[in-house]
Amino acid sequence: MPDEPVTSDEKTVSSEHHWWHRWFRLPGELREMGVVGINMRNARFLLPNNPRRLYELVDNKLRTKALAEEHGMNVAETYGVVRTPHDANKVDKMLNGNESFVIKPTRGSGGKGVLVIDGKNGKNFVKPSGAELTPGDLRNHVSNILAGLFSLGGKRDYALIEYRVCPAALLTAMSFQGAPDIRVVMLHGYPVMAMLRASTKESDGRSNLHQGAIGVGIDIATGITVRAIHHGNPVTTHPDLGIELIGVQIPEWDTILKMSVTCQEMTGLGYLGVDIMIDETKGPLMIEVNARPGLAIQMANGIGLMKRLEPVVEQHRLKPNADMHAKIAFSQHHFRAKLPPVRT
Amino acid sequence: MSAQAKLIMAVALLIAVGGGMAGYKSSKLGVPFWEGDQVNEWLVESRVSFLATGRDVKARLALPSIAVESGSGQESGSLDYHYNVEDDRGEYTAVWSSGAREDGQALYYRVRFKEGLNSGGEPIASVEKPNAPDVPKLPGSLGTAAQSIVTRAKNVAADPDSLFVALFEQINSGASSQEYLIVKRHYEKEGIANPNIAMGIDLLGLAGVPARPAYGVSLRDQNSGQIPVPLLEYYDGALWKVRNPANPSKILDGRELFVWHRGGGSLLDVDGGDNSRVTFTVVKDRIPLATLTDLQDSPLLVSTILALPAAERAVFRYIVLIPLGAFVVVLLRNIVGIATLGTFMPVLLALALLELPLVQGLVMFSVLVAAGLWFRFLLSRMNLLVVPRVAACVVIVTLLMMLMGVLSYQLGFSVGIKITLFPMIIIAWTLERMSLIWEEEGKRSAIVQVSGSVIVAVCAYHFMKVSQIQYWAFYFPEMLLILLAGILLIGRYTGYRLSELIRFKSFTNA
Repeated sequence: MPDEPVTSDEKTVSSEHHWWHRWFRLPGELREMGVVGINMRNARFLLPNNPRRLYELVDNKLRTKALAEEHGMNVAETYGVVRTPHDANKVDKMLNGNESFVIKPTRGSGGKGVLVIDGKNGKNFVKPSGAELTPGDLRNHVSNILAGLFSLGGKRDYALIEYRVCPAALLTAMSFQGAPDIRVVMLHGYPVMAMLRASTKESDGRSNLHQGAIGVGIDIATGITVRAIHHGNPVTTHPDLGIELIGVQIPEWDTILKMSVTCQEMTGLGYLGVDIMIDETKGPLMIEVNARPGLAIQMANGIGLMKRLEPVVEQHRLKPNADMHAKIAFSQHHFRAKLPPVRT
Repeated sequence: MSAQAKLIMAVALLIAVGGGMAGYKSSKLGVPFWEGDQVNEWLVESRVSFLATGRDVKARLALPSIAVESGSGQESGSLDYHYNVEDDRGEYTAVWSSGAREDGQALYYRVRFKEGLNSGGEPIASVEKPNAPDVPKLPGSLGTAAQSIVTRAKNVAADPDSLFVALFEQINSGASSQEYLIVKRHYEKEGIANPNIAMGIDLLGLAGVPARPAYGVSLRDQNSGQIPVPLLEYYDGALWKVRNPANPSKILDGRELFVWHRGGGSLLDVDGGDNSRVTFTVVKDRIPLATLTDLQDSPLLVSTILALPAAERAVFRYIVLIPLGAFVVVLLRNIVGIATLGTFMPVLLALALLELPLVQGLVMFSVLVAAGLWFRFLLSRMNLLVVPRVAACVVIVTLLMMLMGVLSYQLGFSVGIKITLFPMIIIAWTLERMSLIWEEEGKRSAIVQVSGSVIVAVCAYHFMKVSQIQYWAFYFPEMLLILLAGILLIGRYTGYRLSELIRFKSFTNA
């Protein structure tokens, strides 16, 4: 691949410092940096590219998983599905001796209602934080899921019990308690931006950035972390663990990119986010597909999404039938970040 | 055609149709465009309703003389009834008659008059001197009690006016003498519609002052379906005077009360019907009568709610405000970017606030939500299923509302009673969602979203409160098409939300 600088060092208005940057940015400055707002994302990328009927494929995790398995993708093993309150008593049988597992609503969003169990202590279940749940607490959580408490629009729901991912040691070192996941945002099957979300003490095991998790931008070309933000401000080390966050090579990056493109191909959604976790023994596992990925990823990467989306729109117009390899090559070539020195 | 072109076409069409109709109504039909441009008129509509029993029907409703003499009265909307006005030496009665009928019937009569000091209850000279009043027959101890009340009242009163005031102050006060209580209880037991009036008439009769009932209408805008205000007319030796027994020392004020019927005789008589009653709807009307007649003949009638009977019209006063609230929500969510709990919850909250003084309304809402939330957390310890839990919340919210109503009444805030206007189910759902967000995303998110909803509700409230805007929405409902055009435009707005300018303030290029 030719070694050419992709981002030039042009001096722009937005890079100068002004007094108001402490409080806000002018719309013109954001536009110049290519920042995409919610209205823009919805009107220009979600509505035209994601037909409503396809949402069911990704809003229902059972269907997404089945689809992914058809396409030969690795997903977390399903231990069982609780469909009726009566089944809630059979959770033990479904676990089949596995002591660690995850219970999640099949139609949940944004990590709502996800319960992670690390192991057992006598009859009780132990969460990663060390808190214990009685079997009654667990049943109650399941019945909340069944009643639709966490699902989109409060629809009745099923509870999915699956393998608890043991993230690779490299990644657990970067996260306080929770397992970090990798989000790749795609347009028309081109990976446009990626980040790793690591939880902090403040975010309490969750990976939502507005709850205090850390967003770590990843270079699409190499899979090396380039930048990290906490509450919107750049950081270089984890606030609780002190570990360096930048310059980390994410393992099996090529597999991750291929999985992301496959997710786009299997769902048919034009604009989507793919969430992936890397298991120590099983490698990258597809966790979920999100049809309305958020905008914090551009802050984690320090690049406005528009700068990545517009070239893709143009490329897609020129070559509507590009295959997976061509798409990945295009993204890796055009979206290469300026790399910090690689940590060894 | 591209989506963009379709949108522009639709917006242009909506603005042209909406603006064109409003312009036509304003310039050709003379409906004033600005609220302050016209004389205020009151429109009082009486609605006679009864259950016909299958025999020939004849209904007689006494009319205010101003209606007939100034020609501002108007019979409206009584299908297949023969209608005429009977004139009995200056006392007018509307008479509707028809063959055999069954089921519920409704007859309407409207009166319009200028807002002013004249209540129609001014003292008038009697044509002939009235006979000495019949002395009411009160048995035994009742008679003695009544007699001693009158004797005592006569001792302190110099003339019929002060006698009237003295008697009614006693009747109205809760803590009056034993004799009053005995007599009062007698009248209450009789099952008369207005025991105080009947008692007053009899006591005045004992004192030799002729008196008879009269009926008025309370002039408060949008007061729909009110029952007649019972008044009393008495003869002071030269003139017949009308006063309100509920407020005996006050001379009637034409800005607050309109005397519909005086001069004795009954207000309403219905032959061939049961459960007859008359109710009044009062609307402050801003369109001159002549224009209204034109409007009802014009093809634009479909666009105007003015063709409806006033009682049905009053409902629309609130309905036309809902789109305005929805517009504010769209503006604040998509352009400003305020997070709210549920999309249109703020509109309902704003509608409820319209009925209450703003500050009290907000205080009550906060107390209700805080208390409800606390109960909701108690409930969550019991591990209930979702639907029963929300239902339990509804019950608790209902009880809390009753409690607050009673408490604030006891403390002397009459607004407390209106708290029932808060949409209860909406509050229960607000509690449910808020407590979920509280548990899932922390209390900060929950409080941010509830405050967002309240801020949006207050903005919507202020927007809906502007009387010019209410005026347009009500008299020019076609202008809602222009609002719709605005909403469509916002629907295609792809720029930044104001909140995003702050969210991305520390955005720096890598």
